[in-house]
Amino acid sequence: MIKVQQLTQIYKSGKGIFDLDFSIKEGEVFGYLGPNGAGKTTTIRNIMGFANATKGGVTIKGLDCRKDAATLQKDIGYLPGEIAFFENMNGIEFLKFVGDMHGMTDNRRRDELIERFELDPSGGIRKMSKGMKQKLGIIATFMTDPSILILDEPTSGLDPFMQNVFLEMIAEEKKRGKTIMMSSHIFEEVQRSCDRAGIIRDGRLVAIENIKSLNAMKSRVFIVTLTTQADLKKLQTSELETEHIKDLKLKVHVGKNFDGFIKTLSGVKVVNLDTRQRSLEDIFMNYYGKNGGQHE
Amino acid sequence: MNKTLFFASLKANWKLLLSTLALFLIYQSTIISMYDPDSAAGMNALVASLPEGMVTAFGFDGLANNLSSFIGTYLYGFIFLIIPLVYIVPTANNLIARHVDRGSMVYMLATPNTRPKIARTQGIFLYSSIALLLAGITLIGMVIAELLVPGELQIGNYLLLNLVTISMHLVLSGIAFLASCVFNESRSALSVALGIPLAFLLLDMMSGFGDKLDFLKYMTLFSVIDVQKIFTNHAFAWWSSLIMLGVSALLLLVSIRVFDKKSMNI
Repeated sequence: MIKVQQLTQIYKSGKGIFDLDFSIKEGEVFGYLGPNGAGKTTTIRNIMGFANATKGGVTIKGLDCRKDAATLQKDIGYLPGEIAFFENMNGIEFLKFVGDMHGMTDNRRRDELIERFELDPSGGIRKMSKGMKQKLGIIATFMTDPSILILDEPTSGLDPFMQNVFLEMIAEEKKRGKTIMMSSHIFEEVQRSCDRAGIIRDGRLVAIENIKSLNAMKSRVFIVTLTTQADLKKLQTSELETEHIKDLKLKVHVGKNFDGFIKTLSGVKVVNLDTRQRSLEDIFMNYYGKNGGQHE
Repeated sequence: MNKTLFFASLKANWKLLLSTLALFLIYQSTIISMYDPDSAAGMNALVASLPEGMVTAFGFDGLANNLSSFIGTYLYGFIFLIIPLVYIVPTANNLIARHVDRGSMVYMLATPNTRPKIARTQGIFLYSSIALLLAGITLIGMVIAELLVPGELQIGNYLLLNLVTISMHLVLSGIAFLASCVFNESRSALSVALGIPLAFLLLDMMSGFGDKLDFLKYMTLFSVIDVQKIFTNHAFAWWSSLIMLGVSALLLLVSIRVFDKKSMNI
């Protein structure tokens, strides 16, 4: 449905996106993962028809995203990564403005969303917190009930509770057959909501994976702190895949072998057991770093 | 044209529009009330006491022996050239460039409205608001004159002078709007929108400094507000207005095209 073909946009600095090729099927939730500055927003600007590609382009249902933008926007809901509203309006005036620009006549869905996200839209936008602005942006995106949703880092600024409300809504929208593209730098979020994920780094697409296969490939990492050098040796010589950090600390790549991990640990004295916060960087290292570094 | 956007732009800019109107009224009522047919000579004597360079630079060099010439000299020589810019320059920037710079342009483009429609709406807003402001000022000036010194104003000449002034400010609006559509940053758009009229003003002042610099009047738009010429040569007034209206329409078309074609990082 959404086809990105050889999409290239190079900025004066030399940065940009290069020869991106991927497509998103109807009814699919597609995660777009990458660290900050990787080119996620640049890709989305081209999908939305805001930017002119240096080469290649994007089509949706066969229509050109740049030339036929106005036609396509009837079906698209867009949530910008950095939201800027009309400063002089209050929340409800802004929602009314966006609704009118879309020719929206029924306000029921809008009011439902306001309630769901517990937003008081009567206040001036200028005085709203980052989280409130994000909620307002989300409501403006979903209230027209578009069939395609393009979301640029949608959960940023939301507290964990609201993140959850949002991700539940994504699941509902998926059930209702919406096509969703969601960029993020948080792996868990994509893992939870998406069917497939594209991973972008330094402007190049390094992988497109099914989330299921990503999960299967995933290796859990634990950091084990021991008390004696002897125990350290014992773990290092065991069947576990280990990596010495320093002193009596070991990093253990568990994979799916949780049983073996626990059995081996029972033979030594453990004073601390930590799961590492898995950053996107780690995931890159896990999936791509070892096999010759495709992203370099 | 998109009504929703038009009224949103009105809501965002009406305060500046009213402030500009107030500024106009202060100058207009002050100058008109200073006119006294019997002692217009007094004001002229005051002007005569100023150094000649200063008089010509500020356009106070017409012989003001009737009300039309009097306000032509003291209002349309300088003040009415400058005050509209207080509204035009920031508003033109607010309508396009600022939205692109901040990112709020998203909420116009991510709707089923084409870029030309958005630019057209914003351009028409700028043009109609400045034209209405100046037309209102023209009318108010007439009313004030009739109240203070009934029968003194030569209505035909006065209306022609205002037609030329409005047309000229539409060209300046066109320049400011084009800058707003070309640049993705407010700062650049504002610099050009303000820089060009200021350059015109400087050239206009310098052209009055002597015969050697007289040729500069062909390089500035402000020389079209030549009050004596407008009053004595009506064909000049009509033609220059017509040409300037054409140029301002062309500037609007070019602006819309530029906005349609450009790439934005929003």
